[in-house]
Amino acid sequence: MEKGGPLLKVEHLTKLFPVKKTRFFEEQRHVHAVEDVSFELYEGETLGIVGESGSGKSTLARAILALTKVTSGTVIYRGEDITDFRVPPAKRKLLHSELQMIFQDPYASLNPKIKIGEAICEPMLANGQARNHDEAVKKTRHLLEIVGLRAECFDRFPHEFSGGQRQRIGIVRALAVNPRVLFCDESVSALDVSVQAQVLNLFNALKKEFNLTYVFIGHDLAVIRYISDRILVMYLGKVMEIARYDQLFSDRAHPYTKALVSAIPEPSTAARKERIILEGDIPSAVNPPEGCRFCQRCFMARPECFEVEPDFYEVEPGHFVRCPYMKGGE
Amino acid sequence: MSRYILRRLGRGVLTIFVSVTLVFFIVRAMPSDPVALMISPQMSQEQIDTLMHTYGLDQPLMTQYFLYMKELLMGNMGMSFAKRIPVGEYIMSRLPWTLMLLAAVMLIVCIIGIPIGLYAASRKGKLSDRIISIIVTMGISIFIPFMAFLLLYIFSFRLKILPTGGAYTPPTPEGFELVKQVACHIILPAIALSITNLANAVLYTRNSMIDVLHEDYIRTAYAKGNDRKRVIRRHAMKNALIPTVTVIGMQIGIMVGGATITETVFSWPGIGRLVYDSVNALDYPTLQGAFLIMAVAVVIMSFITDLVVAWLDPRIKLGD
Amino acid sequence: MPLVEFHNYSMGFKDDDGNVSNLIDNLSFSIDEGKALGVVGESGCGKSMTSLSLMRLLPDAAVVQSGKILFDGKNVLEMSEKEMEVIRGNRLSMIFQEPMTSLNPVLTIGNQIGECLLLHHPDLAPDEIRARTIRSLESVGINNAEARLSQYPHEFSGGMRQRVMIAMAIINHPALLIADEPTTALDVTIQAQILDIMKGLKGDSGGLMMVTHNLGVVAEICEEVVVMYAGRAVERGTLKAIFDEPLHPYTIGLMSSIPTMTSDKSELPAIPGSVPTIYDFGKGCRFADRCSKCMERCMREVPKSLLVGKDHIVACWLYPEGEVV
Repeated sequence: MEKGGPLLKVEHLTKLFPVKKTRFFEEQRHVHAVEDVSFELYEGETLGIVGESGSGKSTLARAILALTKVTSGTVIYRGEDITDFRVPPAKRKLLHSELQMIFQDPYASLNPKIKIGEAICEPMLANGQARNHDEAVKKTRHLLEIVGLRAECFDRFPHEFSGGQRQRIGIVRALAVNPRVLFCDESVSALDVSVQAQVLNLFNALKKEFNLTYVFIGHDLAVIRYISDRILVMYLGKVMEIARYDQLFSDRAHPYTKALVSAIPEPSTAARKERIILEGDIPSAVNPPEGCRFCQRCFMARPECFEVEPDFYEVEPGHFVRCPYMKGGE
Repeated sequence: MSRYILRRLGRGVLTIFVSVTLVFFIVRAMPSDPVALMISPQMSQEQIDTLMHTYGLDQPLMTQYFLYMKELLMGNMGMSFAKRIPVGEYIMSRLPWTLMLLAAVMLIVCIIGIPIGLYAASRKGKLSDRIISIIVTMGISIFIPFMAFLLLYIFSFRLKILPTGGAYTPPTPEGFELVKQVACHIILPAIALSITNLANAVLYTRNSMIDVLHEDYIRTAYAKGNDRKRVIRRHAMKNALIPTVTVIGMQIGIMVGGATITETVFSWPGIGRLVYDSVNALDYPTLQGAFLIMAVAVVIMSFITDLVVAWLDPRIKLGD
Repeated sequence: MPLVEFHNYSMGFKDDDGNVSNLIDNLSFSIDEGKALGVVGESGCGKSMTSLSLMRLLPDAAVVQSGKILFDGKNVLEMSEKEMEVIRGNRLSMIFQEPMTSLNPVLTIGNQIGECLLLHHPDLAPDEIRARTIRSLESVGINNAEARLSQYPHEFSGGMRQRVMIAMAIINHPALLIADEPTTALDVTIQAQILDIMKGLKGDSGGLMMVTHNLGVVAEICEEVVVMYAGRAVERGTLKAIFDEPLHPYTIGLMSSIPTMTSDKSELPAIPGSVPTIYDFGKGCRFADRCSKCMERCMREVPKSLLVGKDHIVACWLYPEGEVV
């Protein structure tokens, strides 16, 4: 891998799910969950992926991590093609520990009858991160303390923990195998606001301590903006915008991003700007609109938007927008 | 809709074809020879050969099969070995009795089972609900022949208030007397056959009603100002009946042939009894005919069940 | 006279052995006619139980312990079930969090909305019911309302179903509409649509009680706020008072721990610990063990609700001076 190159590179990634046919001679239709997504992830950064339901943000992460088979496109990690994790077994084991995912509810993935300490030790031993059980136990206790759980938690069962604590356990489990990249899928969405702040702070602290790179997936733009350096805005399976967190308010932002920003009710009494309210519902990903994916709900749509799929334009350095009317000069 | 019916029809025909084929070969794999039962020691070899030829038993197995299928397509189910009459006629003489019994069972299940289930759900956890649950568990696990003999013993031998078997007391009575006799005779087999189904219906109705009463839309119904009676009648019942209807429908279909034991114990002259008699007589054509009728019954009942469920639940779309 | 008044209301839950654990403790607040009140809090703070108490739709295990809830001057806790049926869906109506499951899947939309009219105005002609149902659907922005009457809930998206719920709730022009997390299950752009509709409704002079964990939603729509924590109202007052000059350490902590679109990237001032469950409430202030300003007194004594400013009530020993309310 050349120095300064991206840690992870996703090129034209597409994931289609076939729709169950109801008639024999029917043409096979697909859910266009993720379509032609390309981006780069640099070491040490936090990349946020934000989108509403049906945007394909979770599928994208699952496809990168080979949890679902990609339809087309490539995933390059440290200069090597790892699409669908089609690599030699030894290498695959390494990938499984270097690329970790943390889910919205780690409770669902914890065996209720196994003490959480043992649940954390197990992958550590399986992946060779600890030579023996004693070492694994020691390491686990240490990690539990780092994420703010007492070491005594080792001997407790999953149901004895609150939502915030379970999320910490999920983090410990991911950290246990020395990951480089953590994919956090709606990892703070289910938490109470007061607890969400603690977990966000924890993510930031761990990033420094363990030299991590994050891909942070969520629907709450304010949270994603807070935690991320760069943000990918997705709509109906496509990336609409890639921007630095401070470029989201730019006049050059994608109309969808503008609407998304404007839709968030701000917890303040300050007079607010006129809100952009989008008409209609998010269309079905089975029959996505031709032309721009956002054309049907866009408050700036012109006739050509309904016909031609727009390209990406770099409207500012490092700020890419899939909308020709944002490139300026008009 | 018509596309749906066509598709169902196609699937039904396929189901029936497969079951007819299976039955044909299974029957012939039975370790006895029907000819041995038909011939008497006095018959000459020539006579035996003629007999074999008449019933096509001298042909190779596959030829017999194709001949049978060909005849079947033309509506001919063959001649009964035992009765020497066309199988169709033979079965038709029995079918109404089975249907009558099923109708009685269905009546009991719907009129008694569903209300008890609804009642138990509304009294969830209370004493009456617990008692009902215990009885239901017993009903599901009871051994039907035992139940049948118990009923016979109590009502026919001890109390002598109901007849022991048959559909009427010969000679065949006429007019109102026939109706009265059949009504008396049907009580015990109908009860025996209902027990398990009734218990299942109570159980399913109760459980699905309890689930439904915890749904968010029930809370919405109360929030609108509905009283409890109206909530149950208008908002809960239709939803709760969907699983019950599915279960009852499938059971009824299976019971067309599945009542063999009950019909035999009570000498009820239905299809189940016919199966029993035909097995004893190694009457291949009749057996095949009986199983064909059962397959058709299951297909028809599952079709009807689907229609009823689709009518109850608008989320289920028939056809395209 | 206020439209709704909670007077030292307390309720709890009975376990299988019959022991009652208190959740809502001495709750008092009121809503004036035509006003919008936000009830804010995190999970388990009792905000949903507050709204269900007013509707008298509490779950079976719930037990009312003491206090009064006045609606139109009458105590709903003492009303008969018959009397409640007359006001539910009529003077007092409610919309719920889950639009996907709150409508009956086997009845048409027209049928379900029309039912509200039928229940409270049994003498209305079918034509009139139909016309009013169509009008109510149109008022919440559902196009082609006439054709949609005969459709079933599964033919509507989540946002559309929530519109139907609102249409159903306002068709009898209730004096108070209770909305329990009405936008939590929806996408942000759909939430904006629904909030827009609800803001439009405020002109119709009915009162609103918005129950939510989302401070943004409250700021958007309410004039007054009650902040609840672990079953107690820790602070209440006008929107301006609560948002601009919050006094209770919990309110302050809550406000500052939410990342907003304008917040910087420095560490979020989080509240330590987690929301207590009904079984581990302390003897004194229920926020004491998470509070950075906790004093010895806070562990022992329940803080009194005191009037500390104009329409600003706080229950915290940091502010021991004030008029008892």
